[in-house]
Amino acid sequence: MQPGHFPANVIFLIVFVAANVFFLLTIHKLYKIVRLGKPEDRFDRAWERIKGLATFVFGQRRVIDEPAGWGHLLIFWGFIIITIGSIETFGAGIYHGFAYWKFLGKGLTGGLYLLQDLLCAAVVVALFVALYRRFVLKPQRLSYEDQRAANLDAGIIIGLILVLIVLLFGARAVEYLLAQGEPGGYFPKAAFVSVALSGLFAGYSEQVLHGWYSFFWWAHTLVILGFLIYIPFSKHLHLLGAIPNIFFRRSSPIGELTKMDLEDETVETYGVSTIQEFTWKQLLDLYACTECGRCSDNCPADLTGKPLSPKLTIHHLKEHVQKKGNMLLSQREAAAETSNPEGEAAKALIGDVCVEDEIWSCTTCGNCMEHCPVFIEHIDKYVDMRRYLVLMESKFPGEIQTVLRNWETNSNPWGLGFASRGDWAKDLRVKTLAEAGEVEYLYYVGCSSSFDERGKKIASAMVKLLNQSGVDFGILGTEERCCGETARRIGNEYLFQTMATELIEIMNGYKVRKIITTCPHGYNCLKNEYPQFGGNWEIYHHSEFLAKLVKEGKLRPKHGMDKNLVFHDSCYLGRYNSIYEEPRSLLKSIPGVRLSEMDRARNKAFCCGAGGGRMWMEETLGDQRINEARTEQALVLGPDIVGVSCPFCTTMFEDGLKARNMDDTVEVLDIAELLAMAVGTKED
Amino acid sequence: MDVIVLLKQVPDTETKIKIDADGKSIDTSDIKWIVNPYDEYAVEAALRLQESDGAMVTILSMGPERAVEAIRTALAMGADKGVLVDDPATEGSDALGKAKVLAAALRSMDFDLVFCGHRAVDDDENQVGIMVAELTGIPHLGMAVSIEVADGKARIERPLEGAKVTLEATMPALVTFGGAHAVWNPRYASLPGIMKAKKKPLEQKTLADLGVSPDEVGAQAAKMQVTSMGLPKERQAGRVLEGDTDEKAKELTRLLHEEAKVI
Repeated sequence: MQPGHFPANVIFLIVFVAANVFFLLTIHKLYKIVRLGKPEDRFDRAWERIKGLATFVFGQRRVIDEPAGWGHLLIFWGFIIITIGSIETFGAGIYHGFAYWKFLGKGLTGGLYLLQDLLCAAVVVALFVALYRRFVLKPQRLSYEDQRAANLDAGIIIGLILVLIVLLFGARAVEYLLAQGEPGGYFPKAAFVSVALSGLFAGYSEQVLHGWYSFFWWAHTLVILGFLIYIPFSKHLHLLGAIPNIFFRRSSPIGELTKMDLEDETVETYGVSTIQEFTWKQLLDLYACTECGRCSDNCPADLTGKPLSPKLTIHHLKEHVQKKGNMLLSQREAAAETSNPEGEAAKALIGDVCVEDEIWSCTTCGNCMEHCPVFIEHIDKYVDMRRYLVLMESKFPGEIQTVLRNWETNSNPWGLGFASRGDWAKDLRVKTLAEAGEVEYLYYVGCSSSFDERGKKIASAMVKLLNQSGVDFGILGTEERCCGETARRIGNEYLFQTMATELIEIMNGYKVRKIITTCPHGYNCLKNEYPQFGGNWEIYHHSEFLAKLVKEGKLRPKHGMDKNLVFHDSCYLGRYNSIYEEPRSLLKSIPGVRLSEMDRARNKAFCCGAGGGRMWMEETLGDQRINEARTEQALVLGPDIVGVSCPFCTTMFEDGLKARNMDDTVEVLDIAELLAMAVGTKED
Repeated sequence: MDVIVLLKQVPDTETKIKIDADGKSIDTSDIKWIVNPYDEYAVEAALRLQESDGAMVTILSMGPERAVEAIRTALAMGADKGVLVDDPATEGSDALGKAKVLAAALRSMDFDLVFCGHRAVDDDENQVGIMVAELTGIPHLGMAVSIEVADGKARIERPLEGAKVTLEATMPALVTFGGAHAVWNPRYASLPGIMKAKKKPLEQKTLADLGVSPDEVGAQAAKMQVTSMGLPKERQAGRVLEGDTDEKAKELTRLLHEEAKVI
């Protein structure tokens, strides 16, 4: 059965076509499952998407953020190069005389062979490192409920690639020897590993060598085709899922949740409670998952023992979607449900596949999405399921009901009388728009700084700084409303839209053009979400705005402070809006401040625990409170001050310090408060 | 089974109350209106009967046009229909006047049970429910924290100085509800509930429709008059006394005696 001769070539073709047909049928089914999802437009900005493929697929930009990723980069490129080699192997299987050098030339083929040998050798090393990591080091992020199945899957894949490379080298070594004895035969010596390995076969007769070649060739071919068939059933489905998933990654900011159509009266259900209610892209996400666990490694809920692990959420959804999807396609669902009430078809998306505590544990901090190498969008899934729970079932943690009522009645989560919203500014030099008419900047204060005693101090500091620098600004006072950001993240889209529409009407009534906020949540919401409802303004977070004023010399931080300061990035400022430098530049502008950074800083910053409505929910699950975990991370650096840029972070840190009895020794101060101290305002 | 819930729209409990220029009523210009919390417990109790016994739940309210909002809130929670008695002649009615209007409205409706809060949190009179029962000639079960319906009878539990008393009456009967939010946990309206509420029947009636003469109600018919209203004194900032213990004690005694006049 010499490869490339009759009948071996006919048998090969039959096997090859059969394997490919099987593969394509499997893919087609997966495609149809994805198409069960609702429509979503992910075809905008095509050029950006194509560039993304270069950066994130071929460049593996996000993969190599972690050391293990470099191994992946090698294996990825090794795989591509091996595939180029496999095409030659398959060609030779159809016609024995097929060889790249005959039409590429000897020079180019030599280069290709050199590259192949180099990469294959490097991949072998990378594979052993991968095996060592998974089976000896056992990092937490690779843990799954069914560890044996996960390890078996990984073991099969690593083993197959390893065998593939051994067989490739074997075939190459024998090919080298055969080319020597064949008139007109050629094998590039640049393939130095293959040439070196040929020593193992030296001295065999040509007939024996042909036997070895047949063995290597067939084994190599069958392993590749076997691999092809196995891929869609393993976590290596990501080979197929990741590329389209990266191409179709979101072009909108992660801080922009989808706008629900609440006007359409034909809609009978809201949010997501079955797989078909996800969009096709949300389903495609599941195929792309590599089970690398980086999401969980950065998840504040998972790291403090909450019943939420983003990697498991995706894993469970993927298993469910594949099984349930198959049933839906073959319309066996109804039959399956009655015959087997324990089966997949009878499983509820919310309750069995995902549990409510899991859905409510998310702080929407965005760390999972930030670090996912294949751009899976976790948060939107949790929010969509919350939307179902809130809008359809009125099911949410009990304490939330009061908060929702408070927003409805008084437009603030505390439920304090709406008429007292402007009271914080009574003794300050600040105009309301009702008094001043048009101003250049509206200072949108937000609920925390209007109603919370701690937050009011931030607003006062801000007002003093704005007055000091002569900015023409005003506030809405009693007319201000909550932006609704938190209601939206809790899943109450109806309440959010009501609030947003109302606030936009008020702001547009005053012809507002530029807005400054001191809360990153309001900042993100006004900037990234209000355009959905016709609110289009220039929005500044106070860190940006104050940094600008300092740079322009309108504010001079001249009073130094001899302090160790740790800065904590707010999720909605950092990951959501890429503002990392401005608050730091402000802090550095204060003479004497020694700024130090936590291990988890900038885009890896650990959430304070307040996002996604968690501020208003009891934190009873898990083995540690998120704010206490974050406070400990800061305390390691021995700070005098924790610098923050968000009123929620302020509260969470202050509570964290109280829990550690450190509230007398360490202060939590907003950047505006710190700057006001350093500037020393006239009003002091 | 038909359950009618008497519901009142009241100012939100967090509202900063301002006294009107007449000194006898409150300034309603800057007020957020909510469903009286005790009436909301009554709505919740009625909706539980709707679920368990298929009861038809009707909301009955009296007040100006804005009270429609409160009725819609209850409809969004799941009530079936609403009736609002909106007549300027009812303005200024005392508890008896209001009870007369509600009782007249009930006369034209079918009911097995009438539910309402034991009091409204605005003027805290604790009277209307009981008066309606009297005028309608049906038994009154007061301050319920639970309710069961069986064999044509309604049975409630009422807390009594830490103990509990169980009361029973043959229907039709009127039940006033007590307890607290944590006892009743009134449901939060779902979005489909809110959408459906917009289309549920809501009838508006005047005194003429009910056959009530304007002379029987309103301020001039009131047997009880509000003569004045006053706000509590604004809280003063706390004061920290300086000095040694002796001096502080002396000063404290002096202040309590001379300024606070409590000793």
